[in-house]
Amino acid sequence: MAVELTRPALAAEASALPARALLVTLLRPPVILYVPAALFLAAFFLVPLGLVVWMSVSDPEFGFGNYATFFASRYDLAVLARTFQTAFVVTLASLVFAYPIAYVAARRGGAVGGFLLGVVALSFWTSFLVRTYAWMVILGAKGPVVGLLTALGVSPPPRLLFTTFAATFAMAHMLVPFMVLALYAVMKRIDESYMRAAASLGARPLRAFLTVYFPQSLPGVVNGATLVFITCLGFYVTPTLIGSPQDKMIAGRIGQEIEQLLDFGAASATSMILLAAALALFTLYDRFFGLDRMWR
Amino acid sequence: MSRSTIILAVLVAILLTGPMFIVVPMSFSTAPSLEFPPPGFWLGYYRRFFSDPNWTGPLFNSFAIGFGTMVLAMLFGAPASFALMRHRFRFRSAFRMLVLSPLIVPHIVMALGYYSYFGSLGLVQSMTGVILAHTCLTIPVVVLTLTSALANFDRRVENAAAGLGARPLTTFRLVTFPILRPAFLVAALFAFIHSFDETVIAIFISGRDSATLPRQMFNSFQMEADPAISAASSLLLAAVLVVIGARWAARLVKPQPARAKA
Repeated sequence: MAVELTRPALAAEASALPARALLVTLLRPPVILYVPAALFLAAFFLVPLGLVVWMSVSDPEFGFGNYATFFASRYDLAVLARTFQTAFVVTLASLVFAYPIAYVAARRGGAVGGFLLGVVALSFWTSFLVRTYAWMVILGAKGPVVGLLTALGVSPPPRLLFTTFAATFAMAHMLVPFMVLALYAVMKRIDESYMRAAASLGARPLRAFLTVYFPQSLPGVVNGATLVFITCLGFYVTPTLIGSPQDKMIAGRIGQEIEQLLDFGAASATSMILLAAALALFTLYDRFFGLDRMWR
Repeated sequence: MSRSTIILAVLVAILLTGPMFIVVPMSFSTAPSLEFPPPGFWLGYYRRFFSDPNWTGPLFNSFAIGFGTMVLAMLFGAPASFALMRHRFRFRSAFRMLVLSPLIVPHIVMALGYYSYFGSLGLVQSMTGVILAHTCLTIPVVVLTLTSALANFDRRVENAAAGLGARPLTTFRLVTFPILRPAFLVAALFAFIHSFDETVIAIFISGRDSATLPRQMFNSFQMEADPAISAASSLLLAAVLVVIGARWAARLVKPQPARAKA
């Protein structure tokens, strides 16, 4: 009975003071916890992103002209193809280098494992710019590689810097740590007893690895490959600094359209194509594995 | 595991790190351009780095922008993490998507968006603009760090505090926050580094007076004009080495308890 009496009373009070009721709702968790972040991201992330979408269909005139121009341009299509090709090579190369490091680090703790993880961490946390600079020195016209080739009698020495080869090589090198961490996270959870069981059933080490360990590490391979591939699709700094100025990748092309051509419509359309490619890969990943696991 | 596998892994790891260290001899080199091995050694580029306003300015800006980003990203990201991990609300999965999406969008795309957006807001070439942009990109880093810490948090200690009569805010101040303090520190550090390191957006939207260190480095690389870049690179590499070395040393001094397998 008491409850029956208080409810209308409360409702009356709430309607008498709607502002206060609203305030109470807003200040209560979870609203007070998530609304500020949501508003901030809406204002400073969604709006500028939406602006890119808008510019791609409205600058200089309304319609899909910018997209039509992109897909009619042999140059832009070559950029797109080159971007995917480079990302594929980079992903494969970084996987080949990362796998042994992650494998040994995960299965052997101790000094060796600690050393490997320390080295990966050092590389992971060092700025892309610093590592790109290192490759500029190494591959440069006065660098040690050219010096060595000259000493070996190769003349004229090949041009290494400012080529697609240099960019591909450097990007693969830079993304190895990402791949190692993705692989390691999965490998660390593989139960050692499977390998012992395989050995006790008579499998040689290589066979035990191929039929027992490797399949269990595949989720890590997929995680790492997706992350590296998508990062590589949008890589701007390294290809711009040490890649070929003629054979651009898509991010470099966007930069050129912004800075040199001042063609925001074209830059936006190219951006949307890059974004669509990245989103498609993430969606595919999410469909099969769940996006939550990507960064774990 | 065979010895050759281990040797292979160690060799690959050395190949991975070795090349980076070439920036150190370069920073002491007397050659004005990229020449290796260096013809002679001196300290001139370090002196230049610390006395030339073209370098000290961006260094200061990077610290200021990194700090501003860290504060804002924690202010927005930490409550968002609690909302995601501890509450069911109607737009939860949409909110989760929104918070993580800055990780998905390539930076060059956002750089274009900010370039025209901040142009219309009058924030172009300002530190405020860079901080706002970096905060958006850093919130997901904070949220990922804190949500994974919250996932491992034993809520029974909070129930105990509440059972002893503590109000929610008191419980947070005396129980929850002290337990999560390491995760908060790591999240804040990640946020700072993420901003300090960010290059692409800084290249496009920071101006001459708000230039960050990565932007100044990028421009020097493109011009190949200023050899102080090698000193800047060596200092960044040294900073990473010191932090990792300190963590290693801390582990040697205080052996960590074995971590439970997830």
